[in-house]
Amino acid sequence: MPRHAPHRRRTRRRPGLTALRWSLAVVAVLAGAVALLAPTGGTAEPAVSGSPPAPVVVTADQATSDTPTPVSVSVPSVDLTSSLVSIGVDPSGALVPPSDYAQAGWFSQGTAPGAVGPAVLAGHVDSRSGPAVFFRLEEIEPGARVLVGRSDGSTLTFEVTRVVEYPKTDFATAEVYGPTVDAQLRLITCGGEFDRTRRSYTDNIVVFARQV
Amino acid sequence: MTTRLTRGLSVLLLAGLLALVGGVSAAGAADGGMLRLAHLSPDTPAVDVYVDSVDTPDTGIVLTGVPYGTVSDYESVPAGMYTVSMRAAGASATSAPVLSTTVTVAAGSAYTVAGVGEFAALGLAVISDDLTLPAPGQARARVVNAAATLAPADVSLADGTELAGGLAFAEQTDYVSVPGGTTTLQVSSGSAPGTDLPVDLASGSTYTVLLLDSDSGVEVRTVLDAAGPGVVPTGGVEAGGGGTAGTGTALPVALGGIAVLAVAGLLVTAGRRLPHRYAVAGRHSA
Repeated sequence: MPRHAPHRRRTRRRPGLTALRWSLAVVAVLAGAVALLAPTGGTAEPAVSGSPPAPVVVTADQATSDTPTPVSVSVPSVDLTSSLVSIGVDPSGALVPPSDYAQAGWFSQGTAPGAVGPAVLAGHVDSRSGPAVFFRLEEIEPGARVLVGRSDGSTLTFEVTRVVEYPKTDFATAEVYGPTVDAQLRLITCGGEFDRTRRSYTDNIVVFARQV
Repeated sequence: MTTRLTRGLSVLLLAGLLALVGGVSAAGAADGGMLRLAHLSPDTPAVDVYVDSVDTPDTGIVLTGVPYGTVSDYESVPAGMYTVSMRAAGASATSAPVLSTTVTVAAGSAYTVAGVGEFAALGLAVISDDLTLPAPGQARARVVNAAATLAPADVSLADGTELAGGLAFAEQTDYVSVPGGTTTLQVSSGSAPGTDLPVDLASGSTYTVLLLDSDSGVEVRTVLDAAGPGVVPTGGVEAGGGGTAGTGTALPVALGGIAVLAVAGLLVTAGRRLPHRYAVAGRHSA
């Protein structure tokens, strides 16, 4: 719509537009005259013949934003179960898991589970004193099921395709967050060595899953 | 403990292997590839489409009664070579296909196999679908012209970005990076008056603008190819407090370190082929 880029249209389009409108008017009059004076009646395609077809939008099959929100996640093979809260990124752009160590979170600015794209869940592997919600994430095997409960009462089933460990210094952003053609899921936590001076694990463990 | 360690090691080895093959197999190295089918020939009746694995006979996909204008959902298939055959709808699966081609599916990649052109010159086109991450705030769009009545086709966005200029029937453009969000598609042909169509191209996602003939003119359909998050987090995730990596006092850590070194030494002297740079790893070792 014009209101989105009025300044650009003003500088680039207007002179041409006036000329275009005049030529269109001339074409319309001529075409109308020809159509009226033409001896044969339109046969097969009266609305189309003689003039360029008018484009019409019939569908726009895009992912919609009304996908129900996820409220819980479970991985029966490792006895993992948690409700889900919304999580986001900090000012540096890094994804921040829930501060509650026992709680998993859903990156709500991203894809919703069940919609096309990689939906992202994150949780801590441990607290300062013991295991946390995603402690057993790295034990998950390809083929395992991940269940996501949603606000409308439905449950989605995902199948794990692989479990990968990335150094945080070389996190595979494109692989984890890149576009997908189907509904996928990522579960992210920490792994590798714990660097006590930085109070941080060196790696991330990412579980890749696809809706089935 | 042993199983956890070996599992951890195999995960690390896998990660190492993935790192080795690097950018060649971006998303989904172990996931196979994705394939979808499209019928984009206006005067060709409905078809049955067969996708058969060359490597593994008797496995594949069959779509029946596919009419013009159909773009199927993606199907996940193991990486490898496939034969794609089109037959008239209802024709025997053993009859000679009207048309067939082969497509090599790479792991982590997506393809659209489309019947294109007029029936008299029907062809099968294998079109690669780009799954790389769009730049922040950007979407990607391309145009496939399957409308014989709108050729050559011009498609641009309200901001002046050209998606297609003089695009012939049965041809498609490469993806163009465009600002994400609500915009207007301007569709026209030659000097003919254009039509403006509102469209929402979400950041992080990729689209095919499909031009189709219809009874009432040209149908413009925006097909979602792939979707990603509109906001992509930076780097890794801090998701551990270290409470299972040791007790936090110096002595157990030091003892753990000595134990790990001793084990590593044993492994080296025993000539085992474990990747000992990984043997120091993990919260499970302490």
